[in-house]
Amino acid sequence: MYEKILLKNLETPGCHDIGTYEARGGYKALATVLKDYSPGDLIELVKRSNLRGRGGAGFPTGVKWGFVPKDTDKPIYLCCNSDEGEPGTFKDRALMEKDPHVMIEGMLIAAYAIGSEISYNYIRGEYTLSIERVETALHQAYERGFLGKNILGSDFSHDMYVHRGAGAYICGEETALLESIEGRRAQPKLKPPFPAVAGLYECPTIINNTETFAYLPHIVERGAEWFRGIGPEGSPGPKLYCLSGQVKKPGLYEFPMGISLREMVEEHAGGTHSGKVKAVIPGGVSAPLIPECDLDVGMDFDSLAAAGSMLGSAGVIVLDDTACVVRVATRIMEFFNLESCGKCTPCREGNDWAAKVLRRLEAGNGRREDLDQLEFLCDSIFGTSFCALGDAAAWSLGAALKHFREEFERHIDEGKCPFH
Amino acid sequence: MKGNARFTERETGQEGLIHMVQLTIDDIAVDVPEGTLVLEVALAQGIDVPTFCYQKRLSPLASCRMCLVAIEGAAKLQPACVTPVMDGMVVHTATEQVAKIRASMLELLLANHPLDCPVCDKSGECELQDMVFEYGAGVSRFQDEKRVFHSQDLSLNQVIIFNSNRCIQCQRCVRICEEVVGAVALGTVEKGMDTAITGFENSLESCDHCGNCIEVCPVGALMSQPYRYKARPWDLVETDTTCPFCGTGCQLTVSARDGQLARVTSKYETGVNGETLCVKGRYGIDFIDGGDRIETPLLRRDGTLSAVTWEEAYAALREHIGDPAAVNGGRIGGLASAQQSCETLYLFQKMMRTVFGTNNLDSSNRWAAGIYDALPGLFGDLYSRRPLDELLEADSILVIGSSVTDDNPVSDYLIRATLRNRTGKLFLASARPSRLDKDSTAHLRLLPGDEVQLIALLDHALAGMAGEAAAPLGEFVQQAVTTVKSAASVTVLVGVDLLRAPQANLALQWLERFLRRLRGSGKQVGLQFLFDRSNQMGAWEMGVLPGHLPGWRSLGEAGFEQAWGKPPPRMPGADIHAMLERCADGEMDLLYLIGSDPLAAYPDRDLVEKALSSVGLLVVQAAHHSATTARADIVLPGAAFGEETGTVIGNEGRVQIIREIRRPAGRARRNMEILTQVAETFDCDLGAATPQEVFAEIAQLVPSFQGLSLGDISAAGALTASTPRVGGEELDGPPMPTRSNGLRLDNGKLMLVTGDCGFHSGFATEQSATLSGILKDSYVEIGSTDGQAKGLAQGDNVIVRSGRGETRLKLRLNKNFPPGLAFIPENFAHPRLNQLFSQGEYPCPVDILPDHAP
Repeated sequence: MYEKILLKNLETPGCHDIGTYEARGGYKALATVLKDYSPGDLIELVKRSNLRGRGGAGFPTGVKWGFVPKDTDKPIYLCCNSDEGEPGTFKDRALMEKDPHVMIEGMLIAAYAIGSEISYNYIRGEYTLSIERVETALHQAYERGFLGKNILGSDFSHDMYVHRGAGAYICGEETALLESIEGRRAQPKLKPPFPAVAGLYECPTIINNTETFAYLPHIVERGAEWFRGIGPEGSPGPKLYCLSGQVKKPGLYEFPMGISLREMVEEHAGGTHSGKVKAVIPGGVSAPLIPECDLDVGMDFDSLAAAGSMLGSAGVIVLDDTACVVRVATRIMEFFNLESCGKCTPCREGNDWAAKVLRRLEAGNGRREDLDQLEFLCDSIFGTSFCALGDAAAWSLGAALKHFREEFERHIDEGKCPFH
Repeated sequence: MKGNARFTERETGQEGLIHMVQLTIDDIAVDVPEGTLVLEVALAQGIDVPTFCYQKRLSPLASCRMCLVAIEGAAKLQPACVTPVMDGMVVHTATEQVAKIRASMLELLLANHPLDCPVCDKSGECELQDMVFEYGAGVSRFQDEKRVFHSQDLSLNQVIIFNSNRCIQCQRCVRICEEVVGAVALGTVEKGMDTAITGFENSLESCDHCGNCIEVCPVGALMSQPYRYKARPWDLVETDTTCPFCGTGCQLTVSARDGQLARVTSKYETGVNGETLCVKGRYGIDFIDGGDRIETPLLRRDGTLSAVTWEEAYAALREHIGDPAAVNGGRIGGLASAQQSCETLYLFQKMMRTVFGTNNLDSSNRWAAGIYDALPGLFGDLYSRRPLDELLEADSILVIGSSVTDDNPVSDYLIRATLRNRTGKLFLASARPSRLDKDSTAHLRLLPGDEVQLIALLDHALAGMAGEAAAPLGEFVQQAVTTVKSAASVTVLVGVDLLRAPQANLALQWLERFLRRLRGSGKQVGLQFLFDRSNQMGAWEMGVLPGHLPGWRSLGEAGFEQAWGKPPPRMPGADIHAMLERCADGEMDLLYLIGSDPLAAYPDRDLVEKALSSVGLLVVQAAHHSATTARADIVLPGAAFGEETGTVIGNEGRVQIIREIRRPAGRARRNMEILTQVAETFDCDLGAATPQEVFAEIAQLVPSFQGLSLGDISAAGALTASTPRVGGEELDGPPMPTRSNGLRLDNGKLMLVTGDCGFHSGFATEQSATLSGILKDSYVEIGSTDGQAKGLAQGDNVIVRSGRGETRLKLRLNKNFPPGLAFIPENFAHPRLNQLFSQGEYPCPVDILPDHAP
């Protein structure tokens, strides 16, 4: 068994309450930081831990913090991206519902490191319980002096607010998220300038994922070397994985980075209902699926990238041999089509056409030239879209076409879905 | 991304620090200033990189993905429209991959496009069509059903009709509406393929109707209602000309089909206005077809005007005046409209001076007495005869006494668009609220007439002398002067509100003093007026003035007698105020008006009534019937806008050409031709007669025109030249102004101001079918709180009563109006607005009362 770091509190009833959280050692890391660390030391610590962002892109957290201009006369903002919209992902929701203080404590540590006095937690609008729990937790943290002026008697002051999303997937893209907080239409913005230089209200802004923040108190308490000792050198640490799909034991798991997908599916999740695995989507629907033959891949940023997919949000969706890949691809493309913000041509128009063709194909009305057309669409969208949403849509469809072309052909040839 | 090549060069050029980078684009090595965009480099090299969403003055979007180019070392293709050059960059715009992606983007855009070109007004000048022709694949693979928003076009208002199915989401319309026009009337709803452009509640009823969204639309999504199904673009005959309305001097293109006006458009990067026009310029030109044209000379016989021949009209004039050698010039006067061309105005004053021997000349019904004493000091070396966009690059900009949003909408756009991309600060003082208020660092509401206090306080504060002023005036002055003191360059834009009020002369003197003090402290100083009529500056430069000859030259100055063959009279003449008084007193034998309508426009209707009934002979040369032509003894039908060629001088001091679009209506004649013939009637020869000849004579006599010739004036016009300082020594402190009570009236009265509203210009556009369709009736506008206090609601019928008269109007409430202010547009003949005013009183206190009459 692997040590539970984040799950330890998550599995403890009542840990969303500050009393329980404190009794289990909560907010001690914050006290340590305020007492013993300079902001620079803290950034160094996180750099040394090589903590990589858990939102999906895996950018080194400490390095990102280092991009905040040193001599700015503008306020510095901190944002927590809790917009968790990636299908198959539910780790941040669990954290906010069951252990919101670890995120708040992590945000405070980050805020201290970058010199921020105001932070926003952008929470997916549908997460009503998360919003309620986080708001209560903020209230408690203010009452106990962990938020507000002169936290724990130090010079450090910080205010934290919840901002509810309004139901658009694109708001998980960091620049669209910032637009949304500003009250504008949520669409990705040009980078550069990067948010660390000109983000929220054109001020330096650091955006990290909920889970990323949750590791910070542990890194402070147990050290960078402890964190780096877990998992592979290039992407170390523990990690939450959301297992779903046709497995016997779906749910939220915590494993060291780098354990094999096969171990995860077959040992921990109890294997599939049919006993066979057709393919696994390893990191939410943005991540290209991995066929059964590649299941020995390590579940970390670098190994999955090398295998032509990505860890993404670690939403692991398992398909057994009764699943129709065409239907899965259709469903995924419909999702991206619905959630495209409409800004750029390839994503707006391309996803729509891909979804139309896929729907028709899945319904048994496909034509041979449809496959060329889908490939053309993938080529036209991938690498040309304004943000990663279009890339993701084309990439995941491309993988389905590449690994399961014969399933598409059978739909066309048989004039119906062979699985349903 | 705010840097563009032009800025970088100029700004760093001043400091002598041009950071150049070298890059290679399609195997051409070029050096360009740092910050230049790859797209700008490509265009400068004549390399065509297609774009939809890019437009120079709009914020960058990089969403259409048409301009993706290959940059060595970059993993993906990069959008040229937002990628700044880097030293050593190697760009390829014509690789196989680039060509493939361009074709792909077009195929995607066409996939849902209705392809209904045969019934689309844009067909033939559609950017999507052109782009597909140039870069498209030629065939489409897509066979599934297209997305359809609606099956019928949506009428968004009187001028905009919308087909969402054709929209390609370039968002130029949304951006120009927000970033340039400032109206923020258009927005985007929904997402993905459902993304659609719209106004609030699917309507644009309350927008500016300027049509700039239509102008920038690359496809047939936003279309012009008045032009709908009128022509195919290739059947249109286009004439580039200058807008006849305000002094901004926009360039526009009038298109006619079979001799009928079809539409007015603007051209990308052409003229001061670039691709923009205001609603008046874009939709008001149809006033030329308004139906009130005078098509034949008219002569009053037995009390009624009846049609006569030109010969009869001239003979009647000669008969009435008799031998010109015997007439007394002091009993003759001339009034011209500031919308006539320079050539007509020049010839008019030449005729009045040499044929009728008078200096009794004026060119506006509306300005306060005495301004001609102060103006020469400003029009010599201080007036900036430079492009407005250059002036707007100043560190601080002061706009004083102008409702620029309504008077000069395109100048308002330029100010807004410039401020978006610059750090310059705007300080705005006006009576009416302005849309630029929210773009300004500080704004102040002050009554016309109080500008003089403001300027005197600014001057004092700049000199470090304490001035006393209560807030908000004091605060505004302090903020403005703090900024101005630290600024290297200051631009002052002065509006027509200042020129109307009684202390205008004093205000102009203080303005000169303030500007000279700024200049004396080493700052780069800019000054321009914001005239609401197209050729006010021209009328003055052409010498339609009682005390100055053309070029602001003194009466009696050498050169004119030789050029004209006759000396101009030496005695200073009367301005309009004195002329009307003299007419009323029975001291005038002839009043000759050209385009002027004092009975409707002069702010004392009683006086004009009396003057026109008492003058010996009233001759009106005009294109359109008006209140004044109805009172004339002889009416001479002149050419309307577009029926003759001439030049105007816009606020920038730029000479621009108004071109002939068609022949004068009916038996109307070109205005210069009429003046020449009137002179001939009195056996005088005005000499120069054609536009070219007259222009050449102007260039010879008017210093600011030296070196110009009509033939050399290009589409961009020609800037007149600054002239040496006119007038006296350092102004030694003009007298302090008397202080008004501002807007604090205690007896429930409001202060009435007037001016152009946003949809009309002078009285001309009342004849525009399109503009009258948008706004047909006059109204009175007051603050919401004043309305509440009086128990009045929006749309109520009210009586506006002054000490002189009353008129009945509909009430509008405006929450941005300051308390105590009332506004009635000066654009409508019906309410006889000028009967409320009396000479020398402006603004005018009025009561606003509920009108219970049925």
